[in-house]
Amino acid sequence: MAEVHVIGQIVGASGFSESSLFCKWGIHTGAAWKLLSGVREGQTQVDTPQIGDMAYWSHPIDLHFATKGLQGWPRLHFQVWSQDSFGRCQLAGYGFCHVPSSPGTHQLACPTWRPLGSWREQLARAFVGGGPQLLHGDTIYSGADRYRLHTAAGGTVHLEISLLLRNFDRYGVEC
Amino acid sequence: MATASPSVFLLMVNGQVESAQGLEEGISQITSKSQDMRQVLVWNFPIDVTFKSTNPYGWPQIVLSVYGPDVFGNDVVRGYGAVHVPFSPGRHKRTIPMFVPESTSKMQKFTSWFTGRRPEYTDPKVVAQGEGREVTRVRSQGFVTLLFNVVTKDMRKLGYDTGPLDTQGVSWPSPPQGFPQ
Repeated sequence: MAEVHVIGQIVGASGFSESSLFCKWGIHTGAAWKLLSGVREGQTQVDTPQIGDMAYWSHPIDLHFATKGLQGWPRLHFQVWSQDSFGRCQLAGYGFCHVPSSPGTHQLACPTWRPLGSWREQLARAFVGGGPQLLHGDTIYSGADRYRLHTAAGGTVHLEISLLLRNFDRYGVEC
Repeated sequence: MATASPSVFLLMVNGQVESAQGLEEGISQITSKSQDMRQVLVWNFPIDVTFKSTNPYGWPQIVLSVYGPDVFGNDVVRGYGAVHVPFSPGRHKRTIPMFVPESTSKMQKFTSWFTGRRPEYTDPKVVAQGEGREVTRVRSQGFVTLLFNVVTKDMRKLGYDTGPLDTQGVSWPSPPQGFPQ
């Protein structure tokens, strides 16, 4: 069976209006993929940047997959949240990106979006905080039912991901 | 005569911890900011290590802890950072962000500033893991630059493809005129 190692870091995030940020991340694969080692999801530390506006997490990702097919190539999805000084959390953005398909080290910049509500909800979010969130997390990385959403852009999540492939040329896969 | 196929691969890393910017002082030898316009901290600290493994899972990471004296002269932690050792053979430069744990309350922040006992990780290796990080609050300040030379043995024979050599960020000196590239 072919094996894929996804090793790297969620480096941080930039371009968000809030400053104390953390990220919940997860990886979603198709049915042909099996996770051999590593954790499939996690949550980073909360970082408040002192220099510049980029929050740094340096969160390691180390996953080992075995696969029988190319369908359902792994997708990393993120939820970026901000935490204020009272400990309350507010959603800052959702985003996803596919794990690169060619071996080597890649710098990824994943854009994010957050759902806008009605003008009442937007006003409430500006004063009180909170705001609408997705009911089902899989809308972040799937295309179904997106037409109902009205969203605004958030910042960007930066990753450095390296891919090691094993036995792909034995099956005739070129990447 | 049949040769046995290798069951392990080797990873040899050498390089140096080059410089830092944004931190007030460094240690390892104790270094201070340069007097010129660049204001950099240079350690030039050598790293030379070889690893052996059967599986790339758990690829080695370098964890850095930077300490420095505060106003009262106590050594306090100035930053933690971690990065994976690069995967493909060649020369690689990595600049990593450093972050330091934050006190939970303003009172605790003042007490820790006064007594010189700042919040720090009991085991710096926490920085290299993902689990248990969600309860930590940190602030990021400063960067450290590392330079790696990586050599691997038998990874291709075991079927691993690490991709093209990525020597981004390192500029090679151009050869003199008339020499072949």
